[in-house]
Amino acid sequence: MGELAAGLGEAFRLLLSGDAEVYAIAGRTLLISAAATALSLAIGCPAGLALARGRFRGRTLLLSFVHAGMGMPPVVVGLVLWLLITRSGPLGGLGLAYTPTAMIAAQFLIATPLVIGFTAASVQALPPLLPDLLATLGAGRLRSLWLLLREARLGMLAAVMAGFGAVVSEVGAAMTVGGNLRGSTRVLTTAIVTATGRGDLSQAAALGIILLALAFTVTFLLTRLQQRRTD
Amino acid sequence: MDVRVADLTLDRGDRRVLDVDALDFPAGSVTAVFGPNGSGKTSLLRCVAGLERMRGNVTIGGQPVRRGDPRVALAFQESVFLHDTVRANLSLGLALRDIHRIEREGRIAQMAEECGLAAVLDRPAASLSAGEAQRANLARTLALAAPVTLLDEPLSGFDRIGRVRMLEEIPALLATHATTAIIVTHDREEAFRLADRLVLLVGGRVVAAGPAGPLYRSPPDADTARLLGYTVIRLGGRTIGFAPGTLRRGPGEPGFPVVVTREVDMGNHRHLIGRFGRGQGAVTIELRLDPDEPGAVPGEELLVHPTRWTEFGAGTGAS
Repeated sequence: MGELAAGLGEAFRLLLSGDAEVYAIAGRTLLISAAATALSLAIGCPAGLALARGRFRGRTLLLSFVHAGMGMPPVVVGLVLWLLITRSGPLGGLGLAYTPTAMIAAQFLIATPLVIGFTAASVQALPPLLPDLLATLGAGRLRSLWLLLREARLGMLAAVMAGFGAVVSEVGAAMTVGGNLRGSTRVLTTAIVTATGRGDLSQAAALGIILLALAFTVTFLLTRLQQRRTD
Repeated sequence: MDVRVADLTLDRGDRRVLDVDALDFPAGSVTAVFGPNGSGKTSLLRCVAGLERMRGNVTIGGQPVRRGDPRVALAFQESVFLHDTVRANLSLGLALRDIHRIEREGRIAQMAEECGLAAVLDRPAASLSAGEAQRANLARTLALAAPVTLLDEPLSGFDRIGRVRMLEEIPALLATHATTAIIVTHDREEAFRLADRLVLLVGGRVVAAGPAGPLYRSPPDADTARLLGYTVIRLGGRTIGFAPGTLRRGPGEPGFPVVVTREVDMGNHRHLIGRFGRGQGAVTIELRLDPDEPGAVPGEELLVHPTRWTEFGAGTGAS
């Protein structure tokens, strides 16, 4: 308990003293995870819509893969990606190993099944008649898709929260493909691992508290958006 | 614009839900598509709106209809709204049809006034009562002022008082905001009150079509007559149909015996319910009693006769 209390004190001290490295790590964490979430939304929303509304062979099988992917261990995702981007791997020429880009890619792979799954579920919960209604009102294909997603916004924001929450808090993939390089790929989770390894438990607790605060703030803002009364 | 349906078939799985050779809805007419549940009425409406993957031709003003056709406005039976205000829901279709904001607001205000929605315009659509929702559904469709207006069971969701009101309001609204209209209903009274033409649909096929009054007075066959509310009985070798309210007590030609099952007090009048024939072929007969006319006890046999009747050719269904 002493460590936790000390951690809390340390966290406030680090934040209030404007510790440049802590702010840089927190900012990098936010940037990498937000970028990964945004990318997973760009791919996951249309894919989720297609899985929810499409009538094609293998749809159920595909959806099952997505649902399984929602619980994929990040460290395994990191490992597979690492094998691809490492110097001797098939994508080794891109020089992505130990870069924030690789971390974004890994987190994208973790968040996308969550976004697809939540999107598909929330779109399937809409009135079945809605696409026909939008068509008769004069909405074209793209417009209809946009309006459908807007109607499913409760579930969509849940998708954003689940995606962001999963990637901001994972450590396995970030460590494997990013390497925890100080000043370039060190994020809050990997910094916590390092601090713990060093035995600097109050620093680790401080970083943990900052991470929780960051995750909570983002989730709080999204929840406010989600619960804004429109009906 | 006129709507023409030709050689239309629609299958769901291996079940054929529509099979219509030729059907015309003249420009400016109001037609009720009338038939029992599951007869394909809604499917026909969806075909006319271009929402179904059908075989055959549906044309509006000579041009084939397509999904999202701006010449068609359709009010679904189920009132589905976006999670937004009533005003935003009424506005959406107009905005999607590129109608200018100022005209949009004018039309919404007018429709709200005429459909009794002025007080709820800025309320969330999800908060409407069933009757209000159905009126908003209607207003959203009529606001589009499309050349072809399609209404699917527009009176579902209303209580009795609301229904009586809408039976008067819908024809007036259609006269103002619609040109060619097709209304789906399973209720005979609605069909006659709302439309001037009838299409009778049974099992996905058109069994009769034409102006409503003449069709009612001389139904072409026994099945049509039954749909229109006639009682059809086999009497000797003849098939005879008579409309509700045409039966009188006493002997006559063609007369027949009815075994009384019970007497029903409807408040303003009484009904005798009876049975003609036996077993599988038994037909329920209703006889309206005048206020001072004596009733009858269950089991009693009465002679009755229709004052007007139609005789159909041998075998049911043949015209």
